[in-house]
Amino acid sequence: MGDIAATTGNAAAGRAAGSARGKPRDWKRTVFIALCVLPALGFLAVFMYYPIEETFRISLMHSSGLGGETWAGFDNYVRLFANPEFLAGLLHVFSWAFWSILIQLPLAFLIAFSLTFYVNKTTGPLRVVYYLANILPSAITAMLGKFVFSPNNGILSSIATKLHWTWLSNIDFFGDPKIAFWTVFIVATWTYTGFPIIYLMARIEQIPTEIREAAELDGAVGWRYAWHIVLPLVIYPMQILAVLCTVGSLKLFDLPYMLTTGGPGNATVTLGITLYRQGFINWQYGKAAAIGVVIFLLSLAFTIAQFSWQKREGDSR
Amino acid sequence: MKKRMFVVLVALACCLMAALPVFSQSKVKLTVWGRDIADDGADHAYVKALITGFQAKNPDIQLEYIPLGDPGLADKTKIAMASNSGPDIFQSWGGSVMGGYADAGRLLDLTSDLKSVPGSAAAQGAMSWKGKIYGVAPFFAIAGIFVNEGIFKANGLSVPTSVAEMEKVSDALLAKGIQPFACGEKDKWPALAMYMYLTNRFGGDAFGLAQGRKLRFDDASFVNAAQKYQDWIKKGYFGTKPLGEGYGDAQQLMATGKAAMHVTGSWMCAQYSNKAFTDQTIGFYAFPALAGGKGKITDIMGMTDIGFAATKLAADKKAAVVKFMKYAMSTEACAAEPGRICSVPGVKAPSHLTDMAAGVFATAKNVQFWWDQDLPPAVTSPLNDAIQTFFLADTNVKASLTSFESLMEENVGPAKK
Repeated sequence: MGDIAATTGNAAAGRAAGSARGKPRDWKRTVFIALCVLPALGFLAVFMYYPIEETFRISLMHSSGLGGETWAGFDNYVRLFANPEFLAGLLHVFSWAFWSILIQLPLAFLIAFSLTFYVNKTTGPLRVVYYLANILPSAITAMLGKFVFSPNNGILSSIATKLHWTWLSNIDFFGDPKIAFWTVFIVATWTYTGFPIIYLMARIEQIPTEIREAAELDGAVGWRYAWHIVLPLVIYPMQILAVLCTVGSLKLFDLPYMLTTGGPGNATVTLGITLYRQGFINWQYGKAAAIGVVIFLLSLAFTIAQFSWQKREGDSR
Repeated sequence: MKKRMFVVLVALACCLMAALPVFSQSKVKLTVWGRDIADDGADHAYVKALITGFQAKNPDIQLEYIPLGDPGLADKTKIAMASNSGPDIFQSWGGSVMGGYADAGRLLDLTSDLKSVPGSAAAQGAMSWKGKIYGVAPFFAIAGIFVNEGIFKANGLSVPTSVAEMEKVSDALLAKGIQPFACGEKDKWPALAMYMYLTNRFGGDAFGLAQGRKLRFDDASFVNAAQKYQDWIKKGYFGTKPLGEGYGDAQQLMATGKAAMHVTGSWMCAQYSNKAFTDQTIGFYAFPALAGGKGKITDIMGMTDIGFAATKLAADKKAAVVKFMKYAMSTEACAAEPGRICSVPGVKAPSHLTDMAAGVFATAKNVQFWWDQDLPPAVTSPLNDAIQTFFLADTNVKASLTSFESLMEENVGPAKK
């Protein structure tokens, strides 16, 4: 430890002097930095950069994954954009992102505000309840979703049958293409709202009590306080959550796959499901890689947007 | 004294260390990937008997059986094959998927070792590709109609012998508030069985011709069958929520007497004859013929029910692999199965239902392999997707089939008459 301190200390001194007078490079320091960086760089190169490069390469090939690749150029991309399943997946992930931002985030804000503003005995258990869905494995969540919405023996169907509510018992939650998307979305809302709630609660709790007291003096209490004071203060985290929602939607796979496998027809298909089907069921690695590239590029665009937002926010402060 | 003791202990340890590799080398390790857990479930009885029996009979072979479920087995096998890794033996349905692995040089040719193993020609054909045998299929399934005989009797109905009679029976059942057919189309593949038969009854070997690219998949035989299917769906023959119900739901509808017929594979014989699963009286019959159609009642759809293939990774332990394959085809292991049709001669049908299914199989003059096991993997899932669209009321079935034909053209080539 002492050696490291000495090395870095000497290096810092050398840098200060060397940069001014063009002294020879401090090799000890360079080697030390290289040793620190190399394992992480190696890990990234093997498990991230190489697979990304391979995905780009295979996306330009006709490949079944069992050898015998042939050059395809942009044929896989051209075919993808003429494939109704892929187009439906693209539409669904953006719809999913749109409705997540419009429904899940306001809902998360309302719950987060209620849990921080109206503190009582139930607050602690409620925090656990809301976050529980977020930590449950998707398989369990999907099973619970099926348990509720199953057509013949689901909770809703059973209750409706007992009460002779034929309007409800006749609804085919997973089998009607007009409803299936929303059934999956409801299950997902329960699952995915937990994280924004906790995240926003942490931000709301950081608001100084002086601000709340001053607001109260000015007559801003309850939901007026939420709307005029809290919301503007958490708008930046809300923006970040919106970006995360969008990127998460692009990668959406597990819950819709386990609930409906993308059906009926293409009613609940996502880009992730299309990728899986093309790669592992249809043996079309080239097309699957092309979908992977599309997801990657879209995610990258939204991530860059997020970083520029953060930077702009940082600059404005 | 202590020093001497220490020396003795070190010497003993060295001897043990030296002997360990010798002991471990004497056992050949076989890794088998399967679908079902080898537990006490009725439908897992064969797998359990196979694993325990083989291990008991071959103490020199260490068998590692890994159950992966469905679709886990298919997915993991595909990934393993892509990276040229994986098990020594894997459970396989044979057909085009196994053929894809064989074409890629991933499978072990067992022709000389297995060609004389007694078994049905259909089962051996299913595990063969381009003239080479890559495995065994101790059980072979055929598609037919499971009929709730109790419901039929109570309502004065007879088992249909023609498609027209089938429609009359279905209308009568509907009028009594009974769902004519169970299907489970949420899972996509279950609807294929009936579509294969309808197409055959309309156009005979239309599928064979289309597969050989001498006919398009949107030819009249396919379209007429699809139209008939969609008409039945619209009439309510498959209930009000056919797309919301999975294959498990379909089984429950049959088991509880809510549905009267189920067109599916004979692998359901064990379940439907299990009194702990259902109290209904169920029989198995051939899919009826269509008046004026080209297909015959003796044209049967079939597929491997349980099969095993070996990978090239096991090339250096071929003797152990062949032992496993032969034991899989033994009467001893097969006798444990409570329902499936066994392709090994001398194994008694385990239930009345299996006996009925075997009877239907015995009448077969032409066995067509299940379509989604016979077409290239690139188009099998889209085929089931296309069939699922028949269940959507506003679907133009011809357009769905034309779309599928385009995919066939892309992956196999255009149809030439």
